[in-house]
Amino acid sequence: MAIIWLIMLSASLGLMIFTDPAAAVNSMITGAHGAVELSLNLLALYAFWLGFFSLIERLGLSRGLEKLLRPVISRLFPSSDTETRKFITMNFSANLLGLGNAATPMAISAINRMDTGSPHATTDMIMLTVISATSLQLLPTTVIGMRATAGSANPADFLFPSLVATVLSTAIGIIGVKICSKIFDRPRRNSRRAKADLADNPSTVLPLFPVSPQPKRHKKRERQSKRKRVKGGAV
Amino acid sequence: MSAYIIPVIFLVVLLLSFARRREPYGGFIDGARQAVDLTINVFPYLLAVMVAVEAFRASGASAYLANALEPVLGAVGLPKELAELMFLRPVSGAGSLAILDGIYADYGPDSYIGRCASVIYGSSETIFYISTIYFSQSHVRRLRYAIPVALVATLTGCVVGCYLLRFF
Repeated sequence: MAIIWLIMLSASLGLMIFTDPAAAVNSMITGAHGAVELSLNLLALYAFWLGFFSLIERLGLSRGLEKLLRPVISRLFPSSDTETRKFITMNFSANLLGLGNAATPMAISAINRMDTGSPHATTDMIMLTVISATSLQLLPTTVIGMRATAGSANPADFLFPSLVATVLSTAIGIIGVKICSKIFDRPRRNSRRAKADLADNPSTVLPLFPVSPQPKRHKKRERQSKRKRVKGGAV
Repeated sequence: MSAYIIPVIFLVVLLLSFARRREPYGGFIDGARQAVDLTINVFPYLLAVMVAVEAFRASGASAYLANALEPVLGAVGLPKELAELMFLRPVSGAGSLAILDGIYADYGPDSYIGRCASVIYGSSETIFYISTIYFSQSHVRRLRYAIPVALVATLTGCVVGCYLLRFF
C-alpha cells in the first residue's frame, strides 16, 4: 500500500512539474479538503450504523447470525474465533445489503481481533479484504439511480450481468487467496501440515458449541427434553 | 422492494430491544460514541489516499495510464472509452462516479458503453480505499497478495459481465 501511494504521488508530481506546477499544491489540498468532507460524512454514517449495530449486539442477534453462517465463515477463515466471526458475519450482511459504509467499522473490528502484532497480513485478513474488495453488493442502487437520472429507458437492465460479475469476481478472489496462501506461505509449511491435520479433525479447532462450563446440565436438559418428547408422544 | 428491507429491520430491532428491556436509547448512544474514535483514527489514512488520488487525477497521469491501457482493454473485448473508469474505480469512489456520470452524458446510459460502465461500477469496489481503511488500526503494514488477487478477480468479473451484456 505504501509503495502504491509513493508511486502514485511521485508520478503525478513529476508530471505536474512539467505541465502545470501551479496546480500541484492546489490539487493535493483539494484532496485534503475532500478527505475532511468525507470523514465528516463517514462520522455521521459510522455513528448511525454503529448505534444500530450495538442494538443488534445487545439483542444477541449477531450471535444468532454468526451461528447461522458459521459453516461458511469458519471454512473461509479457518483461524477465526467466535467474536471475530461475529464481526465478519455483520460485515458480510451489511455488504450484501449494499451498506458499504456500515460494513467498514465491522471489518476494522474483525481485523483488529485477528491482529497478531506482526506487520504481515495473515491469510484470514487477506481473505476478508479480498471478499470485501471484490464487492458483495447484490443490488447496485447507486448505479441504478444514476442511470434513471441520465434518462435510461430501463435503468436496471444491466443487473443480471452485473450480478454474474460480482459473484464471479468474489469466487475468483476466494480461490485466488486459497491458492496464493498455499504458494506464498511456504515458510509455514509445518503449520500448514498442522492445519491440514486439524481440518481432518475439525472438532479440535472449532467446537460446534462454545465449551460449556457445566456440561452436566446440558445432558440433564437433553434427557429432560427427551422425556418430555416421549411423554408427548405417549399422550 | 429493497427500500423496505432496512427500515423494517430497524423497526423490528427497535421494538425487540424495547420489549426485551435492553434500553435501545442507551445502546444506540454507546454504539454511536465509538464512531468518533474510529473516524479520528481513520482520518490520516483517508487524507493520504485522497491527496494522492487528487494529484493523480489533476496531473493527467491517470489519463496517460488509461491511454496506455486502451489496447489491453480492446484485447479482452471491453470498449476502450472505459479505460479511465477501470483505472480510477479501484482507487476513488467519488472520482470514478464522476467519470461514470460523464460516460452517461457522452454516450447515453443505454448504449453498450454506458451499460458496460454500469456493470463495471456496479460489480466492483474501491479496492485501495478498502485495503487502507481496514488495516488502519492494526499493526499490519504489508498486505502481501491481497490487492493483486482482488484486482485480477474484479477485472475477470467485469470482462465476463460485459461479455454477457451482449446477450441481455
